Amino acid sequence: MAANFVKTGKKIIGIGRNYHAHIAEMKSATSVEPWFFLKPTTSYLQNGGTVEIPNGVDMHHEVELGVVIGRGGKNISSEMAMSHVAGYALGIDMTARNYQAQVKAKSLPWTSPKGFDTFCPISSFVPKEKIENPHDLTLWIEINGVTKQRGTTADMIFSIPRLIEHCSSIMTLEEGDLILTGTPSGVSSIVHGDKIVAGLETKAGEELARWEGDAADRQGGYSFSS
Amino acid sequence: MASFARHGKKIVAIGRNYAEHVKELSNAMPPEPFFFTKPTTSYVASGGVVLIPPGIDAHHEVELGLVIGKGGRDIPQANAQAHIAGYALAVDMTARNLQNQVKKKGLPWSAAKGFDTFTPIGPFIEKTSSIDPQNLALVLSINGETKQSGLTSDMIFRIPRLIEHISSIMTLEEGDLVLTGTPSGVGPVKPGDKVECTLAIPSGPVLSKLFFSVAKREGGFYTFTPEK
Repeated sequence: MAANFVKTGKKIIGIGRNYHAHIAEMKSATSVEPWFFLKPTTSYLQNGGTVEIPNGVDMHHEVELGVVIGRGGKNISSEMAMSHVAGYALGIDMTARNYQAQVKAKSLPWTSPKGFDTFCPISSFVPKEKIENPHDLTLWIEINGVTKQRGTTADMIFSIPRLIEHCSSIMTLEEGDLILTGTPSGVSSIVHGDKIVAGLETKAGEELARWEGDAADRQGGYSFSS
Repeated sequence: MASFARHGKKIVAIGRNYAEHVKELSNAMPPEPFFFTKPTTSYVASGGVVLIPPGIDAHHEVELGLVIGKGGRDIPQANAQAHIAGYALAVDMTARNLQNQVKKKGLPWSAAKGFDTFTPIGPFIEKTSSIDPQNLALVLSINGETKQSGLTSDMIFRIPRLIEHISSIMTLEEGDLVLTGTPSGVGPVKPGDKVECTLAIPSGPVLSKLFFSVAKREGGFYTFTPEK
């Protein structure tokens, strides 16, 4: 069942560079078509959890609207795309920013910088019926009570139907898959002891989903060095 | 465990783990293992068809796969064997031209490695004391002509090191597949090709055979267009 996607889903697709202001802050380039990376489902961290900061990693938050697939398919057209959606969730695409910079410079995969355990805090499932227009929602994240990111999904460069069409033209989408649709500007570092609160709201300010937790240095595990 | 391809949630593939393969693609030797993931939707069972999307130059990369039987994280090398349920012969099909393009831009490898049918997979081979995974022969031939022929003893990073490295970053789960790298001899496949792979004990019995044919992918939205 799609509502149980955190337990049953097999993939998390992360869309890159889907908000102009984020592209500008990262001094990156825009693309003519969407592109993505994968995060393993072992990175999910449910509400109330502690994000683990790997040794040597400069960890950044990226708050995102997640789209949960209800009906799988491949080569799904934009016109049919929304009928494949079961609902939504608020996600944070945690990223090992210094590790990511290193792999980008060496033309290596993004898998590890994006794929650490706990690197996908995820709210509970929001059924499709609760959201009239997913392209008009407010996303925000606060670290220690200070707002770091606050944006609107109206600023997405590629819309949800276009993203579903693009991803499904490459890989079959399955029930329980999650698509993280990109992050607005304001990404910043999270350090040991930080308190993290993120929210998804309607334009009118009605809260649809929330994630609260904190961050701590990971004991053991991989050690990053530049 | 025989149904790992149906129930498993991820395929973790090690890059550049055979010296001759590193050289043939003019790549740099890695100081530590690195990996990418392929979605499980890319599996195609032996006897199936690998579909090449329009504009894509698809390369074969035959590999020994490890099937995880017991999950874990931060698995020390000494415990690695206990987490492996068995093996499978696999091919890490790669959209080479797309991969070259994303490498130039420092972008993810996920699409280049992740197309549907881009992981031909043989049946599950149960772990037994007569199989030393660090001493197996991998062969891939196209239309009867051998293209890749290597020994898993040539792996740069050994199996316990791979399990330790991956699990220090992401938890491994029962049903996960770890692809351990490909020997030299990678090259393109084209529509109409018949590909056969074997995994064998050197000068001994064949443990697995994997067959697939190749065809053009029809009717999808995706077309690769090279960027200037």
